[in-house]
Amino acid sequence: MSDSPVVRARNLGKTFGKGSDRVEALRGIDLDIESGEFVSLIGPSGCGKSTLLRLIGDLVPASSGELTVNGKSPQQARLDRDYGIVFQKATLLDWRTVTKNVELPLEIMDEEARSERAASMLDLVQLSDFAKHYPWQLSGGMQQRVAIARALAFEPSLLLMDEPFGALDEMTRELMQQEVLRLWQQTHTTVVFVTHSIPEAVFLSTRVIVMSARPGRITDRIETQLPYPRTVDTRESAAYYDKITEVRESLRRGDRQ
Amino acid sequence: MLSFIVVTFVLIAIWEGYKLIWLQMGWIRPVRPDNTTMPHVWDMIIELFRPVRRGGDLLILDLAARSFFTLREAFLGFVIGGIFGFALSVLFVRSTLLERSFMPYVVASQTIPIIAIAPMVVVWGGRLDFPQWLSVAVISAYLTFFPVAINTLRGLKSPDPTALELMRSYAAKPREVLWKLQVPSALPYIFTALKVSATASVIGALIGELPAGFGDGLGRALLTFSQQFGARSVKLYATVIVTALVGVIFVTVVTLVERKTLAAGSRDFEVELMTGRATG
Repeated sequence: MSDSPVVRARNLGKTFGKGSDRVEALRGIDLDIESGEFVSLIGPSGCGKSTLLRLIGDLVPASSGELTVNGKSPQQARLDRDYGIVFQKATLLDWRTVTKNVELPLEIMDEEARSERAASMLDLVQLSDFAKHYPWQLSGGMQQRVAIARALAFEPSLLLMDEPFGALDEMTRELMQQEVLRLWQQTHTTVVFVTHSIPEAVFLSTRVIVMSARPGRITDRIETQLPYPRTVDTRESAAYYDKITEVRESLRRGDRQ
Repeated sequence: MLSFIVVTFVLIAIWEGYKLIWLQMGWIRPVRPDNTTMPHVWDMIIELFRPVRRGGDLLILDLAARSFFTLREAFLGFVIGGIFGFALSVLFVRSTLLERSFMPYVVASQTIPIIAIAPMVVVWGGRLDFPQWLSVAVISAYLTFFPVAINTLRGLKSPDPTALELMRSYAAKPREVLWKLQVPSALPYIFTALKVSATASVIGALIGELPAGFGDGLGRALLTFSQQFGARSVKLYATVIVTALVGVIFVTVVTLVERKTLAAGSRDFEVELMTGRATG
């Protein structure tokens, strides 16, 4: 990796619709995300946090401004398979086993040694015992772990996660947060993580990007400065609570602006 | 299977019970209970084991040969229509413009009665030196492509939008999206369509045989026996039963293939097979 940021946005804007249906989803986004960072995008619904993620991942085109990923256009980065994406829905193919689901991107990318790669990914997310199972035989949390294994299988430089734990119960959610931090530290992947949970954003991230709605914009950037590895003890530390309070107040300020 | 047998006997009982009661009471509405209008079920079955004409084959052997002949035309029509319907749905899912331009014609094609289309196909087929069975198969295909096209299109559009976005993030080619995501998702829809098409293909073949002037299929037998209805109605009834059986057998075969294909895991195999064919 060079010194240039993985994601670089300058005055980035996105508008949906035309005429009276025109909605300005994002305005004047300036953002640099460095290699190896874990960045959360947080804000009220309608602040464009998912839209920003989708712009970075080349799922929708930008309307104005500049955006580069690994020094390339988002489209080129997508064609170079720089992105692993995890959505709120696991979106596993229910006619494929867990292993075959993880192999799907590898098949499309014509990669070698697919079954070995899939096996080691399943080992990484601790699902080796379920390799031959079908998605419907797994719990929601396990399905999401398969989706993460699938996203990391081809070693993308950037992992985009759009509220990946939003549909999970609180207990599973905390386990998954631990899991994703472990994977992040093992793989050195850069992560952009969309969430509407303040504790989740603080617990996971190196940096929290606070956004505000109408039009969607960045109102604050907060370094969490909590040491890794983060554990259950982190969740009970005073510094963690202070950061949560800081982000909450920042969100409230942004809302009033 | 057991429930099917029970229902069969219940239906026979209703038929015979109607005859008995209406005869006793002297009722003639809605249907006269006499042995020409409503022959006994056993008479229909006995008729199957009588010669078609003096010195001829048993009716059941004659009908078996005709069934085989008609089923062959129907199956060919089923295959032609299935492939054409599938190809249309792939074109339509790739291009909304094509779908919007041609879908009205696809729908309109099914509002034209097959009886109007059949003679035209036979005449055109004759000019092109088609063998007559091929013309009949084309008529049958005209009925079968429609359910396949409509249902497959719906199935190809059934994957979750996030699944398509995932494929996009893998920079998958349209062919890969089709064979790895859309077609496997569409398989349950396709099989529903194939069951409808299986019965429609038999109807198409029967009707196609009439203007083709075919003497060898079930269509001609149905026509001949309906003209002799006043004299010997049992023959028509027996032929109707055999014709219905042909349809049931066809649908059963499709259902068995469906069960095998949609069983856990085998869809994958199927798809790799098809992908191989598509690339090669």
